[in-house]
Amino acid sequence: MSLAGVGRASAGTVAIEVAGLTRSFGGTPVLQGVDLSLPAGGVLGLLGPNGSGKTTTVRILTGVLRADHARTLRVLGHDLPAEIADVRPRIGVQTDTSLYDRLSALDNLAFFGRLYGMSRDEARTAASALLERFGLGERARHRVGAFSKGMKQKALIARALIADPELVFLDEPTAGLDPEAAHELMTYIHDVSRAEGRTFFITSHRLEEMEAVCTRVGVLSGGRVVAQGVPGEVARAVVPEVRVRVTAAPSAVLDLGAVRSIDGVVGVTATDDGARVELAERERIPRVVREIAALPVDLLGVAEEPPTLEEAYLRLVGASTPQPAPEEVTAR
Amino acid sequence: MRSSVIWTVATKDLRESAANSQVLLPVVILPIVFVVLYPVGLLIGLRWMSPTDAQDLIARIPRSALPGADEMSTQGQVAYLATVYLFAAFFLIIPAMVATVLAANSFAGEKERHTLEGVLYTPVTDTELVVGKIVGAVAPAIVFSWLCFVVYTILVDVLGAPLVGRVYFPTLNWWILMLLVVPAMSVFVTACVVWVSARVNTYQAANSIGGFAVLPAVLLVVGQVNGVMLVGPLLFTVLGVVLIGLDVVLVRWIVSSFDRERVVTSFL
Repeated sequence: MSLAGVGRASAGTVAIEVAGLTRSFGGTPVLQGVDLSLPAGGVLGLLGPNGSGKTTTVRILTGVLRADHARTLRVLGHDLPAEIADVRPRIGVQTDTSLYDRLSALDNLAFFGRLYGMSRDEARTAASALLERFGLGERARHRVGAFSKGMKQKALIARALIADPELVFLDEPTAGLDPEAAHELMTYIHDVSRAEGRTFFITSHRLEEMEAVCTRVGVLSGGRVVAQGVPGEVARAVVPEVRVRVTAAPSAVLDLGAVRSIDGVVGVTATDDGARVELAERERIPRVVREIAALPVDLLGVAEEPPTLEEAYLRLVGASTPQPAPEEVTAR
Repeated sequence: MRSSVIWTVATKDLRESAANSQVLLPVVILPIVFVVLYPVGLLIGLRWMSPTDAQDLIARIPRSALPGADEMSTQGQVAYLATVYLFAAFFLIIPAMVATVLAANSFAGEKERHTLEGVLYTPVTDTELVVGKIVGAVAPAIVFSWLCFVVYTILVDVLGAPLVGRVYFPTLNWWILMLLVVPAMSVFVTACVVWVSARVNTYQAANSIGGFAVLPAVLLVVGQVNGVMLVGPLLFTVLGVVLIGLDVVLVRWIVSSFDRERVVTSFL
């Protein structure tokens, strides 16, 4: 089956627009003014600690929960909740729900296909192709009650894709998957998004995976999106330090004092295999690298060490709880 | 409203229930007791009953309820009363119980197993979902009752007719019961259970609370046993029409008050 969809949102359009979204449960505020934007065809990763409101955001964007208030709440060009009936046929959703244990994987997926208005044959054909794609082809006619957690998770994700949706919401999709399967899924999401222009909205704790696959990330903390943008840019905006990693040969002794004396170096930290050098400005990297390379010591490498999404996330969220809401960072 | 989607929801529920012994057992055992064991035991036992034992009961019954009573033996009159009146009320309990078990499983059971939320994200409308779930409980309840009716008719004609002296079953009130009251009762009970299921989180809770919807049928059985109230064709017709009216109001109300947010937040 080709997963190429018809009627994908064209380039330049916005799949999700959210501004000032709030939602409370029993007087406890969960979302306190969420602003989000996702261009069509991209992969947005929404990051945040447990209880930060990621799943609540997904549920509001998919129309099963109402917002307390939102200045803008648009999905695929439709205002929610008023136009949710126009949105539902175009989205697929995987959250922490269950499959019908007493039905086969094929029947589970085909049932959902039928709910999307597919004919019986269309639904079963699409279900078979997806189960095959997710490595469950041989177990398609087995009851899912006998599946492992990872197999169920794959079937749930396949179910979200049954009607070839334009926009796919995946809530912690790699939970329960082994590293190999998680990598395979992320590669699949990356490929499908690039090749077919399908839009994904993913929540996850696995920052490395998200950094690799997401075209944009948003970090949810204290009920607000405190940073969003291209992963690398978000990381640079949140972690402004400029660092160079120096790797010396195993027997070599790096003169840290000499490194520290190089113009533009503001700090040097010894590491197991060399040193981490902190610079005042990014522009100074080429000259500092040249001078380190000229030192009389056997070096294996001198290279910039860009900040990771994980570092940025931990700064934004880690130790976070009682802090005042951090300044929003937007890297577009 | 797409009938294909309604049917998809209903058949999925049926297949799930059919694979669940917790659901299947009460659905099968109850009719065996009411349709086979009780009537067969009674009709066989009557052959050894002393006529004086039944005099009190027969004396309380209006003669109009026993057509041709003068030509019947005492055992024949008791057989007629029991098979035509007493067991009629049991046939209201059967669809009510079947519908209660199936509806509780399909709605509260789905909430309990966390399968319902996934459905709420799809384009299925509230009406299609609610009506599909009602059909998934009502259709088997009616079909099952009709199958029981066929079995019961054969048993009564084989074991009861020799006592009464003629083939007398099914009577007019039974046709009204099976074609009008049983379907209406099934919808009524199912709608009650679906309404309860939207507000509780477990199959057991829905089954227990929904079971109260069976109470009117149980009272009818008590009334028949005591000979206080014999339900004839007219009363069955009135009962059926009233139930149909209630069904329309209830189903409309349930659909209009169905709230996806309430269902989802009940998981939280």
